[in-house]
Amino acid sequence: MEKLAEQKIIEDLLPQKFGKQGTIWVICLLAVCALGAFAYGRQLYYGLEVTAMRDYVSWGIYISNFVFFVAISLVGSLITAVLRLTDVNWSTPLTRIAEIIAVSAICFAGLIIIVDMGRPDRFYNLFLHGRLQSPIIWDVIVITTYLFISILLLYFPLLPDLKIMIEHKERNGKWLQKLYVFLGSFWKNKPEQFHISEKAINILSISIIPVAFAIHTVTSWLFATTYRPGWDSTNFGAYFISGAFLVGSGAVLIAMYVFRTHYKLEKYITDSHFDKMGKVVVLLALIYLYFNVNEFLVPAFKMKKSEEEHLMGLFTGEFAAIFWFAISTAMIIPICILLFKKGRRPKAAFVAGILVVVGSWFKRYLIVTPTLLHPFLPMSNVPESYRHYIPTWEEWAIAGGSLAGALLIVTIFARIFPIIPIHETITEIESNEKA
Amino acid sequence: MKKHKIIQLLFLIVLGIPPSFLKAQDVVEKPTLSLTLKYFNDNNYTHHLLLEAKSKIDGKFQKIANVPAKIYITNDADKANLLGTGITNDKGQILVLIPNSAKAEWIKSPNQNFVAVSTTTKAFDEARGELAITKAKIQIDTADGRIINAKLMALVDTTWTPIAAVDMIVGVKRLGGIMNANETPTYATDSVGGVMAEFKRDTLPGDTKGNLVLVASVVDNETYGNLTAEMIVPWGTKSVYTSNFDHRTLFARRGHSPIWLEILAYAIIIGVWSVIIYLIFQLKKVKELGVG
Repeated sequence: MEKLAEQKIIEDLLPQKFGKQGTIWVICLLAVCALGAFAYGRQLYYGLEVTAMRDYVSWGIYISNFVFFVAISLVGSLITAVLRLTDVNWSTPLTRIAEIIAVSAICFAGLIIIVDMGRPDRFYNLFLHGRLQSPIIWDVIVITTYLFISILLLYFPLLPDLKIMIEHKERNGKWLQKLYVFLGSFWKNKPEQFHISEKAINILSISIIPVAFAIHTVTSWLFATTYRPGWDSTNFGAYFISGAFLVGSGAVLIAMYVFRTHYKLEKYITDSHFDKMGKVVVLLALIYLYFNVNEFLVPAFKMKKSEEEHLMGLFTGEFAAIFWFAISTAMIIPICILLFKKGRRPKAAFVAGILVVVGSWFKRYLIVTPTLLHPFLPMSNVPESYRHYIPTWEEWAIAGGSLAGALLIVTIFARIFPIIPIHETITEIESNEKA
Repeated sequence: MKKHKIIQLLFLIVLGIPPSFLKAQDVVEKPTLSLTLKYFNDNNYTHHLLLEAKSKIDGKFQKIANVPAKIYITNDADKANLLGTGITNDKGQILVLIPNSAKAEWIKSPNQNFVAVSTTTKAFDEARGELAITKAKIQIDTADGRIINAKLMALVDTTWTPIAAVDMIVGVKRLGGIMNANETPTYATDSVGGVMAEFKRDTLPGDTKGNLVLVASVVDNETYGNLTAEMIVPWGTKSVYTSNFDHRTLFARRGHSPIWLEILAYAIIIGVWSVIIYLIFQLKKVKELGVG
């Protein structure tokens, strides 16, 4: 009977082929990526002139996208590490979803930085001649470190599942079987192997937390170490981290719903998971809202001349529509939805997750661009195009391509590997039954 | 066209707007442009003219940029007398050096006239600005006890003649301006055109040799214009330049970061990467356990 239950879990959780919907989804993502690649080709050929970035706005939607990707990647440390270390068992089915979101996001965070460079062929100079004093170098180091730790944290728990997949070779194609054998043929479910693996996962869970905090704090320092209205804040590290946890959790809500619906995983990603994740998102949205109030109220109370123009631009000026849209969709509306039990049901939570992610993207845009358009010295004798920033189609295509690329990694990963840890789920059910 | 105007007039009458408004729409008077020329004798070496364009807008004079103008030697705005052309900058100014080619005209007389003529633009009609000066120069010298002697002389016929009762500033060149040599801001030249000022800035930093530039200057004089004469004296304290270029600071170049930062950063990097490398070895161990 026990064996039968185990077999059912394996059957349910083994990776499934793309259906018709999945294939269309992948084709759409590939098309967006191709458009982004074409736009990037144009940018390489003609230079950054094809973008709307000029002398004042030198960081546009590429850097907004970078901050967004770094933010979303933090969810790996929240779900996998923080919840694991605090013995929150309900998060087990969500750990791999969170980790693959983290890995794909951090990969594209690195790539989008290269896209933002006018001469990407000189990227290696960053390593040859980088200054240790520069927060940009800290960011490069910490992103690389976080990527390695995230990959290890994805790989170690995957080893027992790889064994299961190798054993079900009738379900795998030739290439997939080869890949599984290459990655995990040495895993024999030996107690010593489990012991080492458990120890490694614990070490990774501990070490990923400071690295995750560092990655987003350093990203915030890219702004906060520059004396500009809107960036000149001692609060930026905590402000960024709270926002990052929120957007990452919103992304997990979306992924939970999509995988649950598409792969029929209702037994594993239950209503209770949405309920609990919904509560987590409410808590994180409230924390982020607190930091936002702090970030805007204090300078608005003092209204220093240099800050005034920036703040009025956000509150009532040219960025007001985006600002209030971002505040409402990233925080206020999701809080209103998820605060109620009905709002934490799968579909409503999914909508709230989408609102959080979309609002958070625009929030990143608002952190980067308005400040650059409000320098301390007034703009004079500059072309009209320098005074505003409206991204060109190439920028939108590249940014869209990078987002599609991140989604493509998650989609392909879910096609190749079990998106819910099989072995961990079986072990957990067994231990629950014994208890 | 006439029919159109009648309709417009009727429309405005119906609306209760006086017909005079219509007239005001048709004839827009351009504001008057005022051109002022100033002459500068720079250390008896070069001579230049500065044209300033201003206009009364909203009840006060404002500098006017983007005005094209030509500056001539003599009052005759003839092509042969042209010294230079230009367009006024943000400060409403055009600077023209008196070139060597104008020497023949320059040496003709002890007095000299100049004229500036602006070109008609959408905003302003043509304007003229004239200047007449008497050629003058300042001689500067020093005496024992750190005394500065300056002498103003003007050209009368062919002779340099001392000029009395003209205000003169005597001081030392500092940050683009003139710092007084002592507590007296200006002097008036005596009967032999002379001014004597005691230098009391004992601890003023000079260059690496302690050199200072003494300056005697007549500013905006109606007859002589702007005159300066300079002299280098070793009356300052020697400035020893110490380079911070090789210091370890947060703003220094690569390889010169502060030691505390290097220790902190490398300790963190080594610490975290040691853990990663350790875990990779653990992975190797897991592999060996499975293979063995």
